Amino acid sequence: MAEQIEAQTLIEAVAGFLAELEGELSGRRAFHAKVAQNALAIVARELAQTPQGKEQALLAGVMVADGDLDGLRAGLCADLRSGVKHADTPGLVDALLAVALAKCAVDNPRYATFKRLAAPATS
Amino acid sequence: MAVVDPQAVAALIDAPVTRVEALSGGASSATYAVDALHRDGAPWPLILQCAATGSVPEGGLPRADQARLQQLAFAAGLPVAEVVRVLEPGDGLGEGFIMARLPGEALASKWLKLPDYAPARAVLTRQCAEVLARLHQLPVSAAAGLALPTASTADALARMFANYRRFGVDSPVFDLAFAWLKERVSDRPATTIVHGDFRSGNFLVAPDGLVAVLDWELAHLGDGHEDLGWLCCNSWRFGVWQKPVGGFGQREELYAAYEAAGGGPVDRDRAALWEVWGTLKWGMACLQLGDDHVSGRLKSVERAAIGRRVSEVELDLMHLLKFGGI
Repeated sequence: MAEQIEAQTLIEAVAGFLAELEGELSGRRAFHAKVAQNALAIVARELAQTPQGKEQALLAGVMVADGDLDGLRAGLCADLRSGVKHADTPGLVDALLAVALAKCAVDNPRYATFKRLAAPATS
Repeated sequence: MAVVDPQAVAALIDAPVTRVEALSGGASSATYAVDALHRDGAPWPLILQCAATGSVPEGGLPRADQARLQQLAFAAGLPVAEVVRVLEPGDGLGEGFIMARLPGEALASKWLKLPDYAPARAVLTRQCAEVLARLHQLPVSAAAGLALPTASTADALARMFANYRRFGVDSPVFDLAFAWLKERVSDRPATTIVHGDFRSGNFLVAPDGLVAVLDWELAHLGDGHEDLGWLCCNSWRFGVWQKPVGGFGQREELYAAYEAAGGGPVDRDRAALWEVWGTLKWGMACLQLGDDHVSGRLKSVERAAIGRRVSEVELDLMHLLKFGGI
């Protein structure tokens, strides 16, 4: 461990503080305290799972090119807008499905479609 | 949210008012519960809905026209709250209207799950089909004079794409969905009055069934299949994905009841396209809400967090494109 207090530890500490605070708030502010805790949980999962690295590798595969994530996204979007790439481009739909899964795993792993696809045997 | 004087409301409806209570305040609208009394002293529960900032956001139906359309639907026998008074500029409350406050549960997360509402869930698919069939049969001429937005399907798709590009976001999933739709949606003229936001979250439900359809502000002229597809988007199933119709019913029952109620033949493939369209449209709404925060228009942890719901939409879209349905 490089630091005694790592980023994840700080996030947990702040989330704990917000949970305490939530009990003292009401209405809209209590709701926002809950939303803020959820937002911190997203940050914690993003740090742990690094979905952007996965997306970069998947998009680089589709584009058959290296590059930073913003460049790869912009390039693929341009190809989709011009019709150079489309739903029948080999590997495209599977790659974008994998990207969407990696992002949803971070942003909302309780979402029904994520649970359905992540555990197909039980769906 | 601004405090509204009960006496001011009393003057508008020419009846005594004992209470005005703020219910909720969004970015663009404010809702108040009003307790008034009829001449004979009987309680007269009402809702006052007005623009929080005194104006309506761009692209939405002006509130006076929304009220008139709602009244048109009420007169046609559809389950909606009767409009009592449309606000005028001299009233000093901005654009808005006063309507009947009906008993019922508006939180879909409750009526979709509580055992008390099982009888409602059993009849809701048919009731929704009947409402849509009757709404879609209203002649467009009945809404003449109302500022209902109108666009052919091709124009509406082009507008939605332009709106997407305005956010400066590059989402390969959204671009794929736009291209996929563009290839498949045939250009149809706007021939039907469409509710535009007909989903579980906009129903008032009693244990025995549908009480009223709420939120007519996105009404427009278009293709009736749009309402059928929107109702079935996964975003409004509250996790009950096995019941595509709003988390409570099956598509075939909806389509058959719609046809039986005179709504005309349902083109199943076209309805499915509108599910993809509706899912993408909800994605644009998530981008808009996130943009409210990023642009500084409305800085809020809630808006910022909703921006991340784009991932749910992207996953639904990829499920639709990969497996042909959701």
